[in-house]
Amino acid sequence: MELGAVVVVPAEEDFAAIHGSETQTMASSGNSRPLYSSRVPILGNDVLRSWMERVRKLGVPSVWLTSSSSDETVAGSVLAGFARQGVERLLVIKLKSYAELDLADLLRFHCEKRNPVTEAEDARGQLGVSLSDHLALRMAGEKHELPGAADDHWRNAYEFSGYAKRILSARERQELVRDGLTGACAIRPLGTEIREQVWIGEGVKLADSVKVIGPSYIGARTIVHAGATIGPFASVEPDCVVDCGTTVERSTVLPYTYLAPGLLIRRELVDGGYLENMGWGAVADLQPAGLGSRIHRIKERRQAFSKTATDVVSRANRDAARGFARPPTASQPWVQVQL
Amino acid sequence: MKNPWTILPFPCASSASGRRTLRKDLLSALGASGSPVIVDLSACRTLNHEDIDLLLECVAQVSGRDTQVLFVAGSRVNRVLLEVTRISSLVPVFDSVNEALAYPQVAVKHDAENRLAS
Repeated sequence: MELGAVVVVPAEEDFAAIHGSETQTMASSGNSRPLYSSRVPILGNDVLRSWMERVRKLGVPSVWLTSSSSDETVAGSVLAGFARQGVERLLVIKLKSYAELDLADLLRFHCEKRNPVTEAEDARGQLGVSLSDHLALRMAGEKHELPGAADDHWRNAYEFSGYAKRILSARERQELVRDGLTGACAIRPLGTEIREQVWIGEGVKLADSVKVIGPSYIGARTIVHAGATIGPFASVEPDCVVDCGTTVERSTVLPYTYLAPGLLIRRELVDGGYLENMGWGAVADLQPAGLGSRIHRIKERRQAFSKTATDVVSRANRDAARGFARPPTASQPWVQVQL
Repeated sequence: MKNPWTILPFPCASSASGRRTLRKDLLSALGASGSPVIVDLSACRTLNHEDIDLLLECVAQVSGRDTQVLFVAGSRVNRVLLEVTRISSLVPVFDSVNEALAYPQVAVKHDAENRLAS
């Protein structure tokens, strides 16, 4: 039985930057909107990498990566291409959730139930992880997509009751941060635990008067100026600057964000010049008031990105990709990653 | 009967000269008023650094005086910005003018002045 695996990264991702292409720069995804991206680190961790590790444990030698249109579907012609290549079962992971899913158990369930498509779900709906067999893949080629929700006889739900969070939601992302900091899930802050429940990444600079209240995480190369308070339940991801007297509490600050002096960031997700309040869901532009901005260090950013988050992707075999089923549009690049 | 409170529009989205005039009016009204003042930001889509500076000037203008000042954010975005800048920890902030008028300190003063007038 040949098992193939595809990871679909939501469309707005800077897919080119994953593998160091010069065709797009990180700056292009800069300040245009809040970026609750599935590729932005969580406590310094890359969710894509955690999924690829789970796939590797299944014994799958490689995974195909692609970005997708906004509906996150893979074109039926591409799926049919997998069937033509001899793939008997295809695991599709849409990178929109962090789930501590046992993929081997999902595969066993799929084989036992003998349904063409098995979709992993928890109490709140689909997790974006599915298994399709050869018949479903061939059907997808004819119908241009996998059998839909209406085709109930084609689909079987794999009920997952373990830990899962939708990482494209600011609130659930913050819940994941909280659980990672307190050990309530498997994700762990990427850094050194300098005291109980306080993690610091490499090259962090903290002024003497900075107060860090655990549980908290400060990512690599972040600078925190005098009088600032970080925590509790705060994650300041790598390469940020928190200016004097600012408090970050029960919040996440995404990489390459500058926060002005004297602010109170409470139950918020900040990405460059934008801030989302998790209570009201309101998104505010901090830039006109000079309260926050994106730090542009494209070269360093790309180096850090490739080093910490995507070294697995850097081994991508592009030559193999050329001989494979091509995506229907040039905007849907494919990269094969050896695991 | 004169209103026991004063509602002042916040000078946003106007020309530089119009803004200067409205700013002057706002600060002088805050300086002169003995009754509660409600500064209404409802017409402001967002707040820039000049707006934040002026709001802080308003707070400074009434500090140490008997004048009660309240801000009406008018939108969730403005409310978020007022919280982030900690202005909401200095001055009560409301979503609407009606909500501000129902604020106990305004309502109490309103009732007292109504009693005196009658």
